[in-house]
Amino acid sequence: MEKASSRYKGIFPVLSVVLLIIVLLSIRYGAVSITLEDMVSAFQKHLSGEQGLNLTERIFMEIRLPRAILCIFVGASLAVGGALLQALFRNPIVEPGLVGTSCGAAFGAALYFALGATFNFNVGEYTLPLAACLGAICSTALVFFLSQSKQTGKSSVVTLLLVGIAINALFLSGVGFLSYIARDPQARSIIFWNLGTLSGANWPAVIIVGISTITCLVISLRYAKHLNALMIGEEEAQFIGVNLKSLKWKILLINVIMVAVATAFVGVISFVGLIVPHLLRILKGSDNRFLILNSAVLGGVLLCLADLLSRMLLRPAELPIGIVTSVVGVPIFIILLRKKNYFF
Amino acid sequence: MKKIIIYTVLVLSVSACGRFGNEDKKKDHKERLVVISKQYNEIIYALGAEENVVAVDVSSTYPPEIKELPNVGYHRALSAEAILAMKPTLILEDNNIGPEHVITQLKKLKIPMKQFGKYEHTIAGTDSLMHEMGRYFEKESKAEELCKKLDSDMKIALENTDSYKEKPKVLMIHFGRASNIYLVMTKNSTAGKLMEWAGGEMAVEGERGMKQFSPEVIAKSDPDVILLTDYGYDRLGSMEGIADLPGVSSTRAFKNKRVYRVEEHDMVYFGPRTGEVVLKLQNLIHQDGKSQ
Amino acid sequence: MIQTQNITYTIGDKIILDDISVTFNPGNLNLIIGPNGAGKSTLVKVICNQIKAKEGWVQYGSENLADMTVSQLAKIRAVLSQNIELAFPLQVSEVVMMGRYPHFSVKPTEKDKTACEEAMRFFDVWEMANRDYMTLSGGEKQRVHFARVVAQIWYPPENNMGRYLVLDEPLTFLDVHYQFHFMHKLLELLNQKDIVVVGVVHDLNLAAKFADHIVLLDHGKLLAAGSKEEVLTKENIKTAYRLEPIIHSEKESMYLFFE
Repeated sequence: MEKASSRYKGIFPVLSVVLLIIVLLSIRYGAVSITLEDMVSAFQKHLSGEQGLNLTERIFMEIRLPRAILCIFVGASLAVGGALLQALFRNPIVEPGLVGTSCGAAFGAALYFALGATFNFNVGEYTLPLAACLGAICSTALVFFLSQSKQTGKSSVVTLLLVGIAINALFLSGVGFLSYIARDPQARSIIFWNLGTLSGANWPAVIIVGISTITCLVISLRYAKHLNALMIGEEEAQFIGVNLKSLKWKILLINVIMVAVATAFVGVISFVGLIVPHLLRILKGSDNRFLILNSAVLGGVLLCLADLLSRMLLRPAELPIGIVTSVVGVPIFIILLRKKNYFF
Repeated sequence: MKKIIIYTVLVLSVSACGRFGNEDKKKDHKERLVVISKQYNEIIYALGAEENVVAVDVSSTYPPEIKELPNVGYHRALSAEAILAMKPTLILEDNNIGPEHVITQLKKLKIPMKQFGKYEHTIAGTDSLMHEMGRYFEKESKAEELCKKLDSDMKIALENTDSYKEKPKVLMIHFGRASNIYLVMTKNSTAGKLMEWAGGEMAVEGERGMKQFSPEVIAKSDPDVILLTDYGYDRLGSMEGIADLPGVSSTRAFKNKRVYRVEEHDMVYFGPRTGEVVLKLQNLIHQDGKSQ
Repeated sequence: MIQTQNITYTIGDKIILDDISVTFNPGNLNLIIGPNGAGKSTLVKVICNQIKAKEGWVQYGSENLADMTVSQLAKIRAVLSQNIELAFPLQVSEVVMMGRYPHFSVKPTEKDKTACEEAMRFFDVWEMANRDYMTLSGGEKQRVHFARVVAQIWYPPENNMGRYLVLDEPLTFLDVHYQFHFMHKLLELLNQKDIVVVGVVHDLNLAAKFADHIVLLDHGKLLAAGSKEEVLTKENIKTAYRLEPIIHSEKESMYLFFE
């Protein structure tokens, strides 16, 4: 028995160290070269309240550093969302956007790009995140509402999944329609938003996404055990004390908040939420208590690495991160998939 | 649409791959301009004012030597750092850059940004822009020269146009084809205006500059001439390749072997060579008319 | 003690269970038998609170099932259902530990670990504790779940509510050896007098050999309930299964044959 519970030990510290290294690399390297001295002096000046930061120091404090931290939070949010939904749906191919969240966000953003100017809908810097977040919440709420069975008022998990897929398709075609009718520059903005970018990172974004990520992570750890129970089946989980209905709503709510907030600031970044939990399952095992916490760290690692590459590959220009996450993630995923006997 | 644009960006990135590695050869320059506008760039080079231009966007492709400069990426998907890495003392842009948050970041860091005046989308407007840029770069006489050249080219071109008896219908396909949808330049586009001056008529209407059309519309429009922009043409490679395009092979243009290649950067903005471009277009679309 | 009172369950116009009142006593091995479609699984589902009866009620000890919460129930009652598929790979010990979930909040205590180890040894699966559940054979998986459900009620609850074990066709994947092994283990468990065991089986001879109390259902009706001598009569078997049995009694034992 000791062996079984101790097999998960050691991963968290290792991943944390890896995360730290990647973050350091990520703030050190980029289009603009920032040395350690620049960083130190930027911090010193910032702490002493001095105003005279030079350009390099300001790039570090206002662009590079918030971006690296935002990467961690966004990666963590998406990966934890994936782990939660895979466990809830008992389905390995689920990713956090599946209940309509990311397509709704994309639709909200597309509405803003295509029609925002026409209807003069603008409340400053946060209009876009707000529009995306509202879109995400609306579409997810729609999925929940439609998946309620008329007779019993219950929603089966499979129905939820199917409705999610359908609503996703609907909102995606909505995005397609909006980008079709939009004028050229707006249409391009929609497309780039759908490929995701962290170039808009700033401190307010870091704080908002950070709060949502950490809060949701802590709360979701409380339900790890219940999600484990779900692995042997919905009914069986109830026999070992899981209140399925309330668990389902809580997990979906946590997922929606995390994914909607993260997506609102960086656009649609797919794939992280799908593969991070699987990577961990392949490496160690499926216990959700282990999986949720470490998904957060590994999600941060993967996104930070992808962002670093997206900034370095075509320096000084940048690749959309959505392209890089797949390029980085897929080979690792396939190699591990083939190496270990990971099957269902 | 999405496919087309992703495709475009990828193609631009790949074909410009060499460009992304370009070294900054002007490291010691005090004044450092990053110019994110195809039109500005062509005019700056024509003025001979390119000395302090240290980087441009990936879509700026004329004149050819501009491709040797470092580039900061696609003008609608910029990143602040990419631009800042070039240590610009000034960013020149034509109000068609994005995403918004990057512009906010640049403004916050107090990086100077400048747009030249917004002029009419005409030859006179182009002259005004060239004059303003000439004043700015202290190349007034060169600017004057460019304007004169443009005006005289245009004069010849318009005279030619008056002499043409017919008005050929021209279809201009941008980037060729993506999943059987053509991205076509309409009457309302810059190219549409060039075509008007050249005495031709764009085969399709549209509110926007570019529009997607199905092969059916292409076939029905039955143009006399088809122009393909460089990338699309080169990809197809030959008349046989073009024959495979659905909707195209039934057109009069194809039957009469009147499918030609044009440079994309000639068609999407006005500049000092616009007169020449119109003359070139006349050569392409009025071959029959001339021989009469 | 589990008691059902006048349970009626219908789907549309079809009556699945018709006025079933039975009592399952602690220390007894209670087995439900009946032909296909008799309503055995439905009765088990009603007893487990998976579905609500249209009429009637179920009592666990002195508590009404409708008044108990999911987590209260989970502390005193374990259920083994048919065909359990795992969604993701887990180790055998992790699966068994799920039985203890109702008893701890975040980390299992020593007591929980001991319960798991003892339950695994009890059902001969301790050796495979660290194996991947997905690599086990059908019979091995079934034994892992025996260990899991038994671990769930390994210790008597503090409030003397009694312990309950409900088994829906537990013998399906087992060979004869392990079928007998399992039934003997159940009898061993029943030495602890507060446990109520209710199971559904198909094999009439196993019922005859091991059951203290048999409930025979047919077409949603209670055909007979009581000791094997009372229930496994020629008439009852003929009515329910539409086959003439040959019943061979020898001392305490009963054997049924069909031709």
